[in-house]
Amino acid sequence: MARFDYVRAHSIAEALQLLGEAGLISRPLAGGTDVMVFVRNEKPPFDRLVDISRVPEMKIIERRGDEVFIGAAVTFTEAEQNALLREVAGCLAEACRSVGGPAVRNAGTLGGNVANAAACADSLPALACLDAVAHVRSLTGERSFLLNELIQGANRTAIRPGELLTHFTFPVPPAGVRSAFLKLGRRNAQAISRLSMAAAGRLDAAGRVDYARLAPGAAMPRPQRFTEVEALLLGQAPTDELLAAAGAKTAEVMIGVTGRRWSTEYKEIAIQAMAEQTLRRVLCQ
Amino acid sequence: MLIEFTLNYQPIAIEAPPDVTLLHLLRDHLNLTGAKEGCSVGECGACSVIMDGRLVNSCLVLAPQAHGSEIITIEGIHAPDGGPNDLQENFITYGAVQCGICIPGMVVAGEALLMRTLTPTRTEIRTALAGNLCRCTGYQQIVDAIEATAVQRRQAS
Repeated sequence: MARFDYVRAHSIAEALQLLGEAGLISRPLAGGTDVMVFVRNEKPPFDRLVDISRVPEMKIIERRGDEVFIGAAVTFTEAEQNALLREVAGCLAEACRSVGGPAVRNAGTLGGNVANAAACADSLPALACLDAVAHVRSLTGERSFLLNELIQGANRTAIRPGELLTHFTFPVPPAGVRSAFLKLGRRNAQAISRLSMAAAGRLDAAGRVDYARLAPGAAMPRPQRFTEVEALLLGQAPTDELLAAAGAKTAEVMIGVTGRRWSTEYKEIAIQAMAEQTLRRVLCQ
Repeated sequence: MLIEFTLNYQPIAIEAPPDVTLLHLLRDHLNLTGAKEGCSVGECGACSVIMDGRLVNSCLVLAPQAHGSEIITIEGIHAPDGGPNDLQENFITYGAVQCGICIPGMVVAGEALLMRTLTPTRTEIRTALAGNLCRCTGYQQIVDAIEATAVQRRQAS
């Protein structure tokens, strides 16, 4: 007796019909890199998986006016190899390249990474840094969330049964803005992030910071930009002292939220250095 | 449920439960035991297969997801006479095989890379193998074998 059933959706409309079907609990399946690990160890809390991995509308990456549109079923490999994302969202392309190994990147999707909402998920700081909006649809309509609204804590999101995370949008960053991602794991590949960092920035003609974004990963209960650090950078020349102060501020903001825990002794120093390094890459190279 | 796909260049149709992995389908329903179950969570690469031209961990693919796909397993990688192909010969020549459990996955990952490029750098080869663990060889000889195969295929093409 199978523990759950499988059905494949060919469009978003069909997926929503299947997910919303009364009388049985259905959940989306895309790359399987989290779902398959989960069902190996746990009793599945659903009757059926709705495979959305091949829905064409959910595989699109394109510019739409002033926004970038990314379908939720885009794999990490597709995202990191995409020319548009490499050009305007380097931090996201780099984050996707840092996930797992090739086979995991070929299967795992951005939508799955966000919907699974592991605190260490590599796409989260990059998407937060880009001010990405997640779009969730059901038979009754569409809801949109900033990432720190969608994600309510470790493995908890605002997505309700019957809803499907269909795509993300984010504003195309202003011309000249560069962004980068840095990950700290136990080894280079197949590593779960201990900490990660996404940053974006630009200098004006006088060499002063006129655009700054910073979003750490695996550091906070919800992904978010550290606007206090951004404010400290704006209008200043990116000297070693300024970057060191930004690093120190990053650690201070993190500890302000999480408090001091067993891992803080390590994370305080690590996050400081990571903020400094990532900002240096986007502001000083 | 009936799962129809292309397996090692041959169309196949097989009845299987909807909740088994592609790895389980291959090993227990189709008797193709080349792909190994190592970690079952996508960390070791011993179950690597090529799905629609891309390397995947068959332990993380739900069997019915293969419906309509082209799957290549280690059993589909060989010389025309059924013996080892050039990559497999090079694994032997360069001493890239010790205990052997990771080797089907390593060869599949190597072929997945060589399907995309015949001019990989050593770094690219290492990246392509980043999801495949080998606890015997230290990887050096495996990288050597793939690099030599790339050179030979380049010269032959």
